[in-house]
Amino acid sequence: MEWLLFGLQLAVYGSLISTLVTGITDYLQFYAVGFVVMMTFDIGSHTGRHFVEHAHEGRLPYLLSLPIPRRTLFLAITLQGGVELALLLSVPLFVTLLLIGNLTAISAAAALATLFWLGFGVAGLMLALSFIAFRSADVYAAITAAVSALIIRFSTVLYPLIFLPPQYAGAALLSPLTYGADLVRLFLGFDPSLLLDPLFAAAILTALAVSTLGLGTVLLQRLVEGVKSG
Amino acid sequence: MPAVETKDLVKKYGKTTALEGLDFTVNEKEIMVLLGPNGSGKTTLLLILATVLKPTSGLAKVMNLDVVTQPTKVRQILGISFQEARGFWRHKPPEILRFHATICGVPKSKRESLIEEVLKDIELWDARKKLFMHLSGGQAKRLEVAKILIQRPPFAIFDEPSSQVDLRGKRTIWEHIQKLREEGSTILIATNEVREAEYLADRVTVLDQGKNIVSDTVRSLKDKIAGGDVVELQVEASDTDLLESLEKLAGTVKVATAGENQFRAYVSMAESWVPKMTDLCYKKNLRVVSVRVTEPSLDDVFLHFTGRALEATPSVG
Repeated sequence: MEWLLFGLQLAVYGSLISTLVTGITDYLQFYAVGFVVMMTFDIGSHTGRHFVEHAHEGRLPYLLSLPIPRRTLFLAITLQGGVELALLLSVPLFVTLLLIGNLTAISAAAALATLFWLGFGVAGLMLALSFIAFRSADVYAAITAAVSALIIRFSTVLYPLIFLPPQYAGAALLSPLTYGADLVRLFLGFDPSLLLDPLFAAAILTALAVSTLGLGTVLLQRLVEGVKSG
Repeated sequence: MPAVETKDLVKKYGKTTALEGLDFTVNEKEIMVLLGPNGSGKTTLLLILATVLKPTSGLAKVMNLDVVTQPTKVRQILGISFQEARGFWRHKPPEILRFHATICGVPKSKRESLIEEVLKDIELWDARKKLFMHLSGGQAKRLEVAKILIQRPPFAIFDEPSSQVDLRGKRTIWEHIQKLREEGSTILIATNEVREAEYLADRVTVLDQGKNIVSDTVRSLKDKIAGGDVVELQVEASDTDLLESLEKLAGTVKVATAGENQFRAYVSMAESWVPKMTDLCYKKNLRVVSVRVTEPSLDDVFLHFTGRALEATPSVG
């Protein structure tokens, strides 16, 4: 389904919009990468929300009661998320690399690694917001939907930072997608003058993944511990 | 050495105290039933013993293993059937049991035959092709119990094992729990169903507001109720003084209202008390609709030790 959506979006909307955008050589390529980044965000946030739902609905206590060490359990859950992410992104990324004409193992690996890192950061962000879910699942769903919309809208997913009006550009620097999208584009050979400093972008992505996953895990553990039961 | 032991066990959820200094033991190869209303701390205790929750303070040991410092070892010898059957929504019963059996180390050579056997035993074989999300509440609950029957752990925990299950299904589940004990497992069950407790328990622990009120065999608990007989009485019309008058009758230990114009009297020697009671009603011009003499139930045990009825007890968290 995700692959079909990607194909349709690229073929219809991407083709149309690329005829309107000037200033970026072959905007369709830029758009294709942006859409893959948006997919990564969707999958990462879905994984994070899904995990919180498990905790909220009771599957997590079952998993926690199984005769396996906690570290192994969390590693298995993380790996499952990673494999899902890789599978869902494989075809869109392959198509994008073909479209750009940069289908090499190195570019594919570098782009995928960046997308993974971004995915973990986004999943961690959703985990870090999990404390809301234990008070109200509806409020959690509403807040994560709003945060998702803001993070996508105010980012460089669809346009480079230097093309954005100043008020949008400032907000875009707060979005993790800006750093993910720019870093992936750099690895895929886009004009570096349109992109953020790659070291800075990599540092921000790393900080995001480590801090949100760490915070999310701690918060989730404390909240699971604190859930009222009979 | 007891199979399960807690000492001064405390669990707090923020400002709410679920367990308040709980001392409790389960002997090896016995069925211990935790009896208490919702919010009495039963599930909290089970989740602590299953290492899902950590206690706020105090000690909890399973087969001499500390649940806080040796949680992985504890999980290797126990299995828990949860109160709410939460499954893998898009999976079928055999897949769910296969996952559980694999994780719990059931040998591959025995796995499939065991899954088939248990699904048939627990009357889920016909539902084996349904997704978990399409199972009825009772079927989902039976699947939750089936996990433990596949695993056959040395220490098995069941949280309200037959809730949502029909009468025939309840009996099937109870028989399998008893069989599990006969095979050598130590079993801890939390329930607020008196019939389930009476059917299964070797010993009962009455839990109320996070405290162990009393632990003993069903027979000994019933014997502790003064009087020994229970008379259920219904009269045709209301009489404001009747309760007080019944309390004054010789042989009355306690009288409680049990509904409109209905009373439950704990008495010594029902055979001499009932004529006095009918005489009293006759003098008050009250027609007696029904009289029933029974022995105390575990409901009465709970009422006796806590001062409140099991079903009417409010939830405290």
